[in-house]
Amino acid sequence: MPAMYILNKNHLSFWLRKLKTTHQLIAPMRDVSGDIVLTELPRMHETALDGPALMPSPKEFLQPQMEQLFCYSREGIEEAINKQSRVLFGIRSCDLSAIRILDLFYLGKNKDVYYETRRARTVLVSIACNQPDPTCFCLGLGTGPFLKSGFDLQFTDLGDRFLVDAGSETGTALVEGFPHIFTEPTQSDKEDLYEARLASQSRFEKRVNLDQVHKRIKAGSVSDSFWESVAVRCFECGGCVYNCPVCTCFNVIDRPEAVDSGKRIRIWDTCMFKGFTRMAGGVVPAEAKIIRTKRWFHHKLVHWPAQFGTFGCVGCGRCAVSCPGKIDMATVALRIKGTDQMEEGR
Amino acid sequence: MEKVTTTCPWCGCGCGLYLHVENNLITGVSPNRSHPVNHGTLCVKGWNCHEFVQHPDRLTTPIIKDGRATYRRASWEEALGVTAARLAEIRQQYGPDAIGILGSAKCTNEDNFVLMKFARAVIGTNNIDHCARLCHSSTVGGLAAAFGSGAMTNSIDEIRDARVIFVIGSNTTEQHPMIGMHMLEAKDRGAILIVADPRRTQIAQFSHLHMRHKSGTDVALLNAMMNVIITEGLVDLSFIRQRTENFDDFENRVKLYTPETAEQITSVPANDIRKAARIYASEKRSMLFYSMGITQHITGVDNVRSCANLVMLTAHIGQPMTGLNPLRGQNNVQGACDVGALPDVYSGYQKVADPAARKKFELAWSRPMPEKPGLTLTEMIDGIHEGKIRALYIMGENPVVSDPDAAHVKEALACLEFLAVQDIFLSDTAEYAHVILPATTFAEKDGTFTNTERRVQKIRKAVPPAGDSKPDYEIICNLSKLMGYPMDYRAAHEIMEEIALLTPSYGGILHHRLDANFGLQWPCFGMDHPGTPYLHRKKFTRGMGAFIPVEFIPPAEPTDSEYPYILTTGRSYFHYHTGTMCRRTVTLEREEPECTVEINPADAKRLEIRANEPVRLKSRRGSIEVKARVTGTVPEGIVFIPFHFREAAANLLTINAVDPNAKIPEFKVCAVAVEPVRRKPGTRQSPPLSYYEGMRIGLDLYIPPEEMLPKT
Repeated sequence: MPAMYILNKNHLSFWLRKLKTTHQLIAPMRDVSGDIVLTELPRMHETALDGPALMPSPKEFLQPQMEQLFCYSREGIEEAINKQSRVLFGIRSCDLSAIRILDLFYLGKNKDVYYETRRARTVLVSIACNQPDPTCFCLGLGTGPFLKSGFDLQFTDLGDRFLVDAGSETGTALVEGFPHIFTEPTQSDKEDLYEARLASQSRFEKRVNLDQVHKRIKAGSVSDSFWESVAVRCFECGGCVYNCPVCTCFNVIDRPEAVDSGKRIRIWDTCMFKGFTRMAGGVVPAEAKIIRTKRWFHHKLVHWPAQFGTFGCVGCGRCAVSCPGKIDMATVALRIKGTDQMEEGR
Repeated sequence: MEKVTTTCPWCGCGCGLYLHVENNLITGVSPNRSHPVNHGTLCVKGWNCHEFVQHPDRLTTPIIKDGRATYRRASWEEALGVTAARLAEIRQQYGPDAIGILGSAKCTNEDNFVLMKFARAVIGTNNIDHCARLCHSSTVGGLAAAFGSGAMTNSIDEIRDARVIFVIGSNTTEQHPMIGMHMLEAKDRGAILIVADPRRTQIAQFSHLHMRHKSGTDVALLNAMMNVIITEGLVDLSFIRQRTENFDDFENRVKLYTPETAEQITSVPANDIRKAARIYASEKRSMLFYSMGITQHITGVDNVRSCANLVMLTAHIGQPMTGLNPLRGQNNVQGACDVGALPDVYSGYQKVADPAARKKFELAWSRPMPEKPGLTLTEMIDGIHEGKIRALYIMGENPVVSDPDAAHVKEALACLEFLAVQDIFLSDTAEYAHVILPATTFAEKDGTFTNTERRVQKIRKAVPPAGDSKPDYEIICNLSKLMGYPMDYRAAHEIMEEIALLTPSYGGILHHRLDANFGLQWPCFGMDHPGTPYLHRKKFTRGMGAFIPVEFIPPAEPTDSEYPYILTTGRSYFHYHTGTMCRRTVTLEREEPECTVEINPADAKRLEIRANEPVRLKSRRGSIEVKARVTGTVPEGIVFIPFHFREAAANLLTINAVDPNAKIPEFKVCAVAVEPVRRKPGTRQSPPLSYYEGMRIGLDLYIPPEEMLPKT
């Protein structure tokens, strides 16, 4: 049973300022253009916790879009491992669930030292979702809106105060030094929490059952002509993968800077690109868009469950925002389910 | 980690994005969710626009070329000193009109304005132009004659509420992906999509009606549509009476183009033309979009005029969700035209020939202004051959790859007495330069870009400049000072102030107003003016809209038995123009590492060409070898090549026949012969050189780092 505390909203900035003395504090902030972005917070009172899902996902703080692995020269190799300790404040429950899936990939049999170092030094403070976006569908997947574990701290907005769950020792340590602001919750606080959870669940506009979709794909009842109708709308932008909190595609490239020195960098990559599978001889097995589109959905809905026991999707709805062709996970899943019902109806 | 909000540097959509900066390194990009153009999406180029900024190939110091092919690093003082001295010398000897200046649609409004001022006030010539000559000069000319203003009339955010979308000569989903997204959304909401394009592009696959007319027959197609609209009484007579002139002349001309006549010329079935005309004319909210497929012909201006006639005939202009919408190709090609990097106009299209405008600029800049309109880009290249132009100053352009008939261009540049190139990378054009000046990218300076819907948006400095590189306007200001005309701008916003002062349509556009709501759409006449989402509301800019009768003229180079195929050139989704930026971006380069020619399966069968085999393309001007991509995207008799690839430059083949008014070259049609390249079995081709290797080995452009240079 995680320890619970109550934090008055007025005391949040005070606590964040204290956190900033020991950690790099990353939190959502309203930008000059009105967007809410996850960034290093310059002024504590500017935290904006009421926005939609942050883009791109917090994945960028564990696996940056472009990251230097090492420099090489005649003297040898100098690794560039980021050892900064960080607090990711204000991420969503789905993001947390996604990071746990990333852990399965990066910290499994083959450990990725760059990810591991970052991950070990990152404290995750999530905000449970009282206000899911119209694109969200984590409810059916159990990856949100409220979590029972996986976080260091979980904040729940109860109007004028936060209810804080501590889910790990790291999390407890961050609040224990401030007993004057993190107080014991009363029975009415817990009742309010229960009410907030129920209310949040009722606010989901999308109900997506990926289990059914998984079964239909496994049964082979999703035809290629269906995937063709999806693929024709693909703009090949890669936005779905870049924005996805679970996708892990990356590419490693060398950047020579002189004859005998240079850098090796790693950048985000996308299985949606045909170059992703280009072979040394120039053959591209996944030349057709339909193969690539189908593969992305199959990977998330069939291969992930087989490999890790969980879907490669947490229902954050980011692909629905970033897809110009509107062939995001929820839309396609609902269409697959729709064909199901249509056929049953016949 | 910091996130800097800025504007995308690739196409004319002008999407909002964030650059992620950590310890002065750009680590990523993310889209802006509330931006009116992209709504949280980006295309593949946008998602990867961070990579070239801090590429090791960036120019970091000025470079001076001694003798034929030796480059050496130089200080700013020396490089600018040489440039100023040589320009002054040539002006002294041959007069100011012997110097040509090329601005850039990739640079900011401020950069181009300062360059324009440099050309006119310091050098004293109107010989200033930029690559809009190669893309939308026919729009600027054609629409100025018809409406009085050559820009997209409506806004991108209106597209999704349109009922009919007619796209002619634009591969929208690939070249303006975020505008394509809006069109697809409109279609999902019930709009009817009509596409006229010889190629079966992605937007054509979405369309309800796809007319595959022959390249270069747009006038016949549009005239036939108008013929149907007139004969079937779908015209808006009250609009024509109240707001337009010269209708009768036009009507008489169009009567000759029946759909059946047009079918003969365009090979589009007469019934499809009728259908398209009826659909377009009978809805109230019909938007017309066009792009390079209309403009890059010897009849470019005529094509644009036909489009203008069509929208006036049906009164689809001056209201939201209607209009004539040219899609501009580059991030700031609209802006570069607006601030007057053109030979015949000052900023805001104030004519050089107009004494009042000249007087105004003379007073502001206290120098006499040259009276005669200058030479266009294409004329400058010819002018070098004729000995009229002795020196060129090029800011951020690469005419060796981008201009038609590349061999002709290279010859010209080689015989210049002085060539200065200001760029971020060593381009193919820089190979011919005597002085190369390193400039900064969009992420290293402040300024504004104007996107295709006339939205002036800010770009913001995110990281310090690479090496000793400087913002373009700063380089020109320093040069101008050396030439005896100090321009003391402390920052980009001071230049914008001067633009606002001298340009009525930019009158209320100042940097501090651009932070909120993602900029302002010109015309914006004063500080309290909210900007203009759509033009020509109650009155055309020129007063009455002018119907201009247009006759069909066939392309400059018809096919014959020796050169039986039509070559049409264009862009690929993953690349951008001459490739200096995108081909240094790993993800983009990997998608399309080499040039391919699209060829119809029937043609391929006849010529015995297999997919992915090399073929040789020959025109009267040159020949290149490329890989075949056998696809139904192109119809029989037409082949298509993207022009980004320096190693197989499509522009070695293209013809430099130009439109008589706009001087735009006909990139879209020339005659070629295609033949397969047979190699002996067993002789394997060596793998193609990467771009960097090519740069270094093939062109001898590699500059060793400082410490490896011989000590002098």
